[in-house]
This record gives sequence, C-alpha cells and structure tokens, in this order.
Amino acid sequence: MKKRFATKRSFLLCSLLVMALMLGACSTGNGTNAAPEASAGTNGASSAAKTKISYWTIDRHDMDYMQEQVDKYNATNTDNIEVEMKVMADNYNQAVEVAFASNQAPDIFRSGDFQTYVNKGYFAPLDTLLSKEFLAKFDGLLVEDVYTKDGHVYTLPNTGQFWRLLYNVDLLEKAGYMEPPKTLDEMVEIAKKVTEQGKAEGIYGFASNFKNGSGFTRPAFASGSLSSETSHEGFNYQTGEFDFGMYRDIAEALHQMKTDGSMIPGAESLDIDPLRAQFAQGKIAMYVNHSSEPAVYTSQFPTDINWASTLVPTKDGQINGVTWVNAGGYIGINAQSDKQAAAVKFLEYLYNTELRTEYQEKGLGLSVLPYVNEAAGKPELKGIEGFLPTKYDGIYPATPISVTETKLEGKKASDVFIEYILTSNQDLEAAIKDLNTRYNKALAAARTEGLTNIQANPSFSAKSLQGSLGQ
Amino acid sequence: MHKNRIGAYLFSFPSFFLTMALGIYPVVWALRYMFFEYQGFGTPKFIGLENFARVGRDAEFWHSVLNTFIYAGGKLIITLPLSLILAVILNRKLRGRHAFRAIFFLPTIFSASVMSIVFYIVFNSYNGIINQYLMKLNIVSAPVDWLGAAHAMTTIVIIAVWGAVGNYMLLFIAGLQNIPEDVYEAASLDGVNPVQRMWYITIPMLGPVLQMIIMLAITTSLKGYESIMVLTEGGPFGKTEVMYLYLYKLFFPLTTSGTSVQNIGYGSAVGFTTAVIVGIVTWLYFWMSKKLNNVY
Repeated sequence: MKKRFATKRSFLLCSLLVMALMLGACSTGNGTNAAPEASAGTNGASSAAKTKISYWTIDRHDMDYMQEQVDKYNATNTDNIEVEMKVMADNYNQAVEVAFASNQAPDIFRSGDFQTYVNKGYFAPLDTLLSKEFLAKFDGLLVEDVYTKDGHVYTLPNTGQFWRLLYNVDLLEKAGYMEPPKTLDEMVEIAKKVTEQGKAEGIYGFASNFKNGSGFTRPAFASGSLSSETSHEGFNYQTGEFDFGMYRDIAEALHQMKTDGSMIPGAESLDIDPLRAQFAQGKIAMYVNHSSEPAVYTSQFPTDINWASTLVPTKDGQINGVTWVNAGGYIGINAQSDKQAAAVKFLEYLYNTELRTEYQEKGLGLSVLPYVNEAAGKPELKGIEGFLPTKYDGIYPATPISVTETKLEGKKASDVFIEYILTSNQDLEAAIKDLNTRYNKALAAARTEGLTNIQANPSFSAKSLQGSLGQ
Repeated sequence: MHKNRIGAYLFSFPSFFLTMALGIYPVVWALRYMFFEYQGFGTPKFIGLENFARVGRDAEFWHSVLNTFIYAGGKLIITLPLSLILAVILNRKLRGRHAFRAIFFLPTIFSASVMSIVFYIVFNSYNGIINQYLMKLNIVSAPVDWLGAAHAMTTIVIIAVWGAVGNYMLLFIAGLQNIPEDVYEAASLDGVNPVQRMWYITIPMLGPVLQMIIMLAITTSLKGYESIMVLTEGGPFGKTEVMYLYLYKLFFPLTTSGTSVQNIGYGSAVGFTTAVIVGIVTWLYFWMSKKLNNVY
C-alpha cells in the first residue's frame, strides 16, 4: 500500500514537473529589448550607463571588416553606445519576421524585402530621425518603392550590383575579335566562331544558368533595360503596363546561340557556380553577371585566365536607357525600438565617408553613392575596373512585377522565354502577346486590391538616369 | 482505474500540447487564409471561394499534379519490387547480410539536400561522372543533359529510388521475419520454385505489413520535393515541378525565381487541395487493398 502511494506520489511529481517545465518554456522571452536591458543591469556599474543596441546583417563577405568597424565604433564613440553585431544565416527574411512577431527584433538591421518590411511596419521613417543635411547626401537617389514610400524614407542606398558581359579576352582574340561585342548580332557571331574553334577542347561561346529563371533575367534585364528608354523588368513606366516586347531581341539572340550550338552543353540545368567554375577554367567565352564576380574569381574560383567585362550588348549598339543597378536598401531602424536615437548615431557612422571609401577600396562592394565614388581610390580587386559605375548605370524606380506575379495565372515570363530559347516549341510573338495579356490582367487585379500603387508616369525617360551614378 | 486514467491524460498532455501547438495550429492558421486574399502584410481580404476557382483554372498547378503522379508512380513501380527482392535476399542467412543491410539503408540517413548536390555533380552534362563513363564506353557520342527538359524527370526518379530502397527494404525485412519458417519448409517439401514461393507465400503472408508499407510509400512519394528543389528547382521551365514544390514556392518564394512576395491566401487553397488529392489517393489505395489486410 505504502509502495503504491509512493509510486503515485512520484508519478504526480513527474507530471507536475513536466507541466512546470512547459509553462516555464512558454513564459520566457518577453522581448528583445527586455533581455539586453536585463543583462545590462546584471553587468554591474561599469556598463550600466551604456546604451546597447543590436545590429543584424546578412552580409558574410564583409563580416570581418564590418566587425572591426563596429569594434572601433564601440571603443571610440562618445555617446556611450555599444553595438552588438550579429551575422545571420540564410532565410534572413523569415528570421526577421519571427523576431518581430516575438518582439525580439534588432534595433537596426539590414534591409531585406523592402515592400514587406514597410507594409508590416518594421521600418521607422528615417526622414523623422535623420537630419536634412545627412539626407541631402542621397539627393536624386531615393527612388520610390525602393527606399521611400508615401513620402517617407525608410532605408538608404549603399552598394549595388553592376551588370556586365564577362568575356575571356584570349578566347575572343583567338577567334579574331580584339573587341568585345557591342551588338547582339556580334555576340551571336563571336559565340559561334569561338565554339567552332574550341568545341573539340570543350570550349563554348556562351553560357547562362538556365536552371532557374535568372538564366534568362541576368542577360535580359541588363540588355533589355540598356536598350529601352521606357521599360525595366517588362514594365513600361510611361504606360504603366507590362510589355515584354522589350526582351524580343535578347531572347532571339539567346535562342540563336542555342540553335547554333554555341551554348555550353547542359545549360538547361546549369547553376551559377558550376558556370563560374567552367568560366574560370577557360571553357566559356561569354556570360552576363554582376559585380560580385571579381571577388568570386579571386577567392572562390581563383583563375589565371585573362578575363574582362564590358557593358552588355544591345540590339544595334544603341543605348537608350541605363543598365539596371540592383541597389536595394542597406539598413533600416526598428519602428518598435526604444533606442532609435542610438541606432541613428550608428547608422550615421556606417555612412561616414572614411568607412565607405575604405570599404570600396578593399573591393568589398561598389558604392552607388556619388560622395563615396568621388573620394574612393581604385578598388584592390582584379577585374573590378570593368564594373565601376559608368554613365550608363542607373537605379530604376520599383516595378510592380513581384506583386503582379502573385496574381498571375499561368507561366511566368522567365519560364516562357527560357522555353523559347531552349526549344523551338513556340512562336515568340504569340508568347509575348500572351504574356502581356496575362501580366496586365494580373496587374489590374493587384491595383484593384490595393497591392500596388505604381501607376503610369508618361514623363519617365530612362535617359534621364544616365550619369546619375557615374560618368 | 479512474485515477489511472488521469495519469494517462497527464502523461499524454505534453505530446498532445506539442502536436496541437506545432502541428495542428500552424495548419489551421494557414488554412483559414484559403478564403482570403493575403500576401503576408496588410489586412486579409475575404474573397470567398475565389482562391479555389483560381486553383481550378491554374494550369501550372495541375501540370505540377500530373508531374507528381509521374514522379511518384515511377518511384513506386521501381522502389517497391526492388526493396522487396532485396529484403527477401538479405533475410536469408547470408554471410555479411548485416553489412549489406546497413549499406542499402545508408541513403536514408543522408540529407536529401546534400545528396542532391552530390548527384548534381554526378549527372551534370559538361563534366559529370556518368557522361564521362558513357562516352568512354562509346555508349553515347555526346554528353547527355540528364537534368535538361528531356531527361530531368527520369534522373530525379532514379535518385528518389536510390534514396528510398534501403528504407522499404528494412520494413519488408521486419515483415518477413514474422512469417513462420515452417510454411516455407512445407512448401519446399511440395517442390515449389522461388517464384511460386514469393508469389504464393511471401507476398500474401506479408499482408497488413505490405499494405502499410505501400501506403507509406505512396504518401511519401506524393509529398516529396526536397531533392527536386535542389537539383532543378522544378525546371527547366516547369518540367519537374511537383505539387508540393509549387506549394512551397507560394509560401516561400525562391530568391532565384524573381518573386519575393508571399502568396499566403492562394497558397493555403493550393495546400488544402494538395492535401485532398493525397487523401483521396490514400483512401482509394486502402479501398482497393482491403484484401491485403487478410492474414492467411
């Protein structure tokens, strides 16, 4: 009997213990700001007066340099601010969402998806926190729906991806071409000639990573926008409608290279890193990508091949717009943080000319900020010179393509174009007409539901973007 | 008796709580949006059955359903007989059978994503090992694009079979060990050959175990998408898009797809539809396989 009682008692104790553990687990984590403050309190008098702020970034390529800068700031700032930098892993957007949902968000953080962050109320409006003098540094750059929304500034530009045609100088010269192509026809011709000469050794004229949609968008967005005065990402700013006719020429050129056998075998399933590995081995003559490549060929796939980069070719060599520069917002300040004043000071520090020029000179990223480009010397990175900002680089206003595709029925534009390029299954004109109809129907639905307020801008001219980032 | 029942409830509570919090609640949370237009921000807008009407019109989704059946069918047709044959062989008292079982089971414990990257290296057309051997042996004259539009589905099925055979083999071995040895001895006295032995004794006597293994194989195959996501991302141009990958992309757009906005409302409707499809297939299978439940 006694034994039975003891068993029951221990059984009851175990049950209570399990419940207590679960309740304990559920009650922890009252929010971000509570935790650092509590820890600050227990750290003793020496750190009690410090304002501790947390800074999240996803950038790993510059983490050592940025940590040095954060340490320097912590040691030298006179505002008694201490920054804790945390480099996040993949799935950054999800991590930020979870942090905000559980009130554990950082005080200042790397921008992810601008529209989502603004719509969800993560970003504090910087125009109410930063001085007019500071914001004046960004005059002419603060594009609506990329950095600003409804008259408020939520994040600021910093570095950007500059898109170019990368080419193997030796392979082109061997095929008799001393200059890279300026027109799409020249590109097709060079690719064919290089392949004819090198196929036996596994050398091909052109490649793109058609494993996913970016195999099309990398060459197409760069060439299409440079050719067009009105459009980017298939969206015509002047009419406020989609017109994928802007990609007819580049799609035909890519299709021709495929038909000629000038594309590397397996391009259909090629990913970007295997493509780079082949380029580094001298097996590919040309491909289109952005300004990360010099760092890739210095550390990830070191190569001795003689390569260079140039503006992407257009239909007839005529330039009517700019090559798009992918320069999303850099960082934003947490709208819920009670340490916004300290976060602002740190943000100003991150934009100081000395830090930004050194960052650029070390080859960690190419700035889109004129005050940095004027002050910075040439970056210490082989091959970067071809990617430096030119007159023909520019930041386009946001297009409604992402939100439109949530309402789109049927295949996405990139899949339709890739199918045309790799097979001869469809008529390009009919495909473009069908895409325009479906995308504009989806855009109309998105506008009706208030998912986008991007409208036609009849006075838009991409020519006006020329010279905005460099000369 | 009554107090014992309280104890049972108390001990069940932690797993019940975790199942509700981490299994049921997220599903209900997502499913409620199937009647809403919702991109993950702003106020969800009630649109009734419009999301389901869109599912009906969505040719890309139904194409992914067709791909799912091709993928699952191909995988099952090869995996189940192969794993049963391996199980029968390795259930005998062979020397080193435990080592062989472990080797065949190894793919099950590897991460599907990691193995898919390895298979990408094996199958890629410009310097993949498979093409190099095929060309060296003069079986093909030019590299085959194993992950291109023409062959991607076959390649993916082969990889799926490789990953699943060991797992089902082990389950079959567990089932085979429940068949009394006397039955086989009696049969051998009657002079049955190995095929008759398999067809008239082994398969019927596996009964409910076989039914359960096939059901597991069907549901797992219909839901599989991880290796496809790594190998082809559903491409080229949708050729290997399966329904759960299509669903995944609606909730978590891949950065390479160009779209960054979630489609939670429509995704929930697609999620519900895919669950119904898997449910119907499973129910149909149970209905058709009632006979397997009879233990001889």
